[in-house]
Amino acid sequence: MVETRKQFHEELDELNADVVHLGALAAEAIHAGTDALLNADLGAVEQVVAADRVLDELTHSIEERTYLLMARQQPMAIDLRTLVSILRVIHEIERTGDLMVNVAKATRRLYPNPLEPRVRGLLDRMREQAAVQLGAAIDAFADRDPAKAASLPDMDDVMDDLQKDLFRAIFATHSTDEATIQRAVQVALVGRYFERMADHAVNVAERVAFMVTGQFRHEEPQAG
Amino acid sequence: MSKRIEADDVSAWFGAFKAVEGVSLTIEPKQVTALIGPSGCGKSTFIRTLNRMHEVTPGARMEGSVTLDDEDIYGPGVDATTVRRTIGMVFQRPNPFPTMSIRDNVAAGLRLNGVRKRATLDEVVERSLRGAGLWDEVKDRLGKAGAGLSGGQQQRLCIARAIAVEPEVLLMDEPCSALDPVSTLIIEDLISELKDRYTVVIVTHNMQQAARVSDVTAFFNLAGAGEPGRLVEVGDTPTIFTKPQDERTEAYITGRFG
Ligand SMILES: Nc1ncnc2c1ncn2[C@@H]1O[C@H](COP(=O)(O)OP(=O)(O)OP(=O)(O)O)[C@@H](O)[C@H]1O
Ligand SMILES: [Mg+2]
Repeated sequence: MVETRKQFHEELDELNADVVHLGALAAEAIHAGTDALLNADLGAVEQVVAADRVLDELTHSIEERTYLLMARQQPMAIDLRTLVSILRVIHEIERTGDLMVNVAKATRRLYPNPLEPRVRGLLDRMREQAAVQLGAAIDAFADRDPAKAASLPDMDDVMDDLQKDLFRAIFATHSTDEATIQRAVQVALVGRYFERMADHAVNVAERVAFMVTGQFRHEEPQAG
Repeated sequence: MSKRIEADDVSAWFGAFKAVEGVSLTIEPKQVTALIGPSGCGKSTFIRTLNRMHEVTPGARMEGSVTLDDEDIYGPGVDATTVRRTIGMVFQRPNPFPTMSIRDNVAAGLRLNGVRKRATLDEVVERSLRGAGLWDEVKDRLGKAGAGLSGGQQQRLCIARAIAVEPEVLLMDEPCSALDPVSTLIIEDLISELKDRYTVVIVTHNMQQAARVSDVTAFFNLAGAGEPGRLVEVGDTPTIFTKPQDERTEAYITGRFG
């Protein structure tokens, strides 16, 4: 048997590789943005903002090439599911990049006061958790691994608990002065951004499951 | 009109060569069923067993059964010519009778059936040409030769000729492969209309065409050179083209082999 659509499948492979690369850029942003915040490093904030432009450009480039392949190749079956999934997945990753820009920019609003050690510790763990979830989702995408994708919702429970802990830590300070409340709001927002990133990773995993199985989540047999 | 065909364990030979093996397929009425698969996998051979055209080839024979609404088309005493009239066929290359007028091309089958009345013939000619989406283009030149039409018009003329005898089923073997894109789309629209009245089976190499026009898609494949063609997977068309169950179907429709 001969491979009849070599060119098309090579371009598809390239797109797949670029999605994985996009995921790696977002993972870098998670670490760089959090480091900027924890180290109160204003210069690093600028770098995170600049790096996000690269991420946006790659997103647009993938999107454009996906549309072109759809128009030119009229993909079927796994190829069709892959291209539709790519459009959704890159959107999730791109949002993660934007959220990390928000995290990094919070550095300016909190500057120059250092974060309390407990809050620092929790934000550090949230960053780890966000990165682990994104990494697992991207691995599931790269490996076409629905089992790995299925582990994301459980991982997300960890993030939800961390967010609760963070809120408790914030409210533990009973101070009512304006500046403290402002800071508390900033920290709460940062926590919320991490929690959203983790949700985006869950969404990526959902798309991977669809891509591999062709089953939409709402079609899956309900457990229990 | 519009009957169900059931092929049960159909195999077909050319002499000693087995071209099709063990195909069981139910073709539902008022639906378009598309047969797809690589060249030589037996699509044409199989479709020709459905109206007893296969046996016309010297040395060709078949085994298994084909029923039309539970009536065995290979049953004792069943006349092959009658079967072919009930189950009409449109071929890859438009094949109007070249010297016959457009009107006579359409009326030919009726005349064979013994219809002589001019008014009846005229009525059927108009209805069939309208049914084939050709009436407006040819109504002022019904007396001209069929060969003077464009390829797409000729193919629609052949469809008009096939439906003039009011068949139950229309078999189409790559009806658009010799046509330009616009004629192809016209025929595709026509197929969608025809299925309201007929059971339609179409063999096509054009995957997008199968995806556009059919309700059910059957994928045939060859295990290897010299092997007979077999039915691999049949399913509703959206499923076959978005999530086929068999990896051979997947590989074929995504062009990973062909
Ligand atoms: N008249 C014939 N005599 C001998 N062998 C034939 C004859 N017609 C077809 N065959 C063989 O039977 C097998 C099936 O042919 P068939 O025409 O049914 O394939 P197909 O799926 O319609 O292919 P294509 O897509 O190229 O039209 C092929 O190996 C072909 O060579
Ligand atoms: Mg053929």
